[in-house]
Amino acid sequence: MLKAFSTAATGMAAQQMMVDVIANNLANVNTTGFKVSQINFQDMLYLKMKQAGAEIASGVNTPSGLEIGSGVRPVSTTKVFTLGELQNTSRSLDVAISGDGFIQVTLPSGETRYTRDGSLQVNATGQLVTSAGYTIEPAITLPSTYTGVDIGKDGTVSVTDSTGAQSSVGTLQLVRFQNPTGLADEGDNLYSQTTASGTPTTGTPGQNGLGTIQSAALEKSNVQMVTELVNLITAQRAYEINARAIKAGDEMLQTATNVGR
Amino acid sequence: MTQPLTQIGSSVDALTQELEIITHNLANASTTGFKRRSNAFSKVLDKQQGGAETYTLGNIDLKSAFDFSQGNLVQTGRTMDFALGGRGFFVVETPNGPLYTRNGVFSTNQNGQIVDEMGRTVSGVSGPITLPASVSSSDIQVSADGRITAGGTVIGQFKIADFKKEDGSKLVPAGDNCFLMTDKNTQPVTAENVLIKQGFQESSNVKVVDEMVDMIMVTRLYEANMRYVSAQRENSSTLTSVAMG
Repeated sequence: MLKAFSTAATGMAAQQMMVDVIANNLANVNTTGFKVSQINFQDMLYLKMKQAGAEIASGVNTPSGLEIGSGVRPVSTTKVFTLGELQNTSRSLDVAISGDGFIQVTLPSGETRYTRDGSLQVNATGQLVTSAGYTIEPAITLPSTYTGVDIGKDGTVSVTDSTGAQSSVGTLQLVRFQNPTGLADEGDNLYSQTTASGTPTTGTPGQNGLGTIQSAALEKSNVQMVTELVNLITAQRAYEINARAIKAGDEMLQTATNVGR
Repeated sequence: MTQPLTQIGSSVDALTQELEIITHNLANASTTGFKRRSNAFSKVLDKQQGGAETYTLGNIDLKSAFDFSQGNLVQTGRTMDFALGGRGFFVVETPNGPLYTRNGVFSTNQNGQIVDEMGRTVSGVSGPITLPASVSSSDIQVSADGRITAGGTVIGQFKIADFKKEDGSKLVPAGDNCFLMTDKNTQPVTAENVLIKQGFQESSNVKVVDEMVDMIMVTRLYEANMRYVSAQRENSSTLTSVAMG
């Protein structure tokens, strides 16, 4: 049968996956700290019908070969860690990381995860937790009575008591990875470390390349709606054209079949 | 009578291959750095414009080469995405020797080396490029000539290889967006007039409309060939019945 069928089918499958990725990006257009994903494709192996540069007679080489490709395959999705827009919220426990870095959180199971979603809350024991209730690392506990909380650019958390006196209760630390693209996406705005991402280095915000903490602000998703919609149209048309290629192959076979009639 | 039929046979085979080349181009319409294989029709059209040769059925030249024309540069903003403007290739190292690619979607591995999507190290001017442990891939800046700096310190420079025009046809596709130089004696030359753009990807140079037009031509030509076979079949059966009385 025609190889063109399976080749075009790989094209359709790839475009379908592209639509899946775009749909997820678009669905997260309002997710705090979300990073857009891009999908990368590679061409598949070639069937060599004739080798380029092969000697066909003494001293005569074929100037070019004939290789027929077998389509495309998705090879990776990469997160694009560009900074999302910072939005003021006027809630003092909302923090945005202006620059590189992640907040380290501990799951109830004891595992470590990393997030850029800084909508922090205080739990029943006074600890700073993420909106999903995971404690941040290193743990910061607020005293039982306070009238205000302030988080400085360097991550210092200070509370104001009823007399108006300020005292520091801890410092929010950030971690960074050599290859953030290598982090595994865990959902819930969380990432986990992999061999590819490298080991995290912990530091004070604003130092060693880490971003600063912007209090009373949240980092919006870095999804560019227009770019995604343009990509969606491209993917949809490419899908259609690959389907059309299957139809063209089908028409050719049909003509061939009709010869015998 | 048999000779035209043999010609038709080879023409039909050629048209089938032609469709396979077109579908492969179409399947890779979204593959970063992909170079389309120019097919017989576009090549014949080029020739006709030059007034040198005319197109004859059953004699399709399938020695199609790659169309290395520039793809569009699309901004992604990712610091480890690189696109080449102009002639040249990034070089990736494999156990079987270097491969050449226009796909500059890179990352770093656990040793801090710059690698491509398949984890193969990307060549610098002097060996693999390693980012110091204190440098994250989001800190690096790459100049138009491929020099990689982080915080003002030069870390390395991308090796950009090129081949002389006459050697270009010896490049064969190796899959995974890479090309392989088949002739061991052909050494790459340093690329000139090439610009490296950080935060960009070079999109596939497949123009879907052109491929669609070619695809329609292939199906119609195939049909025409088959019609001829049908006509011959009828002719011969009439002849046979006349002869047999």
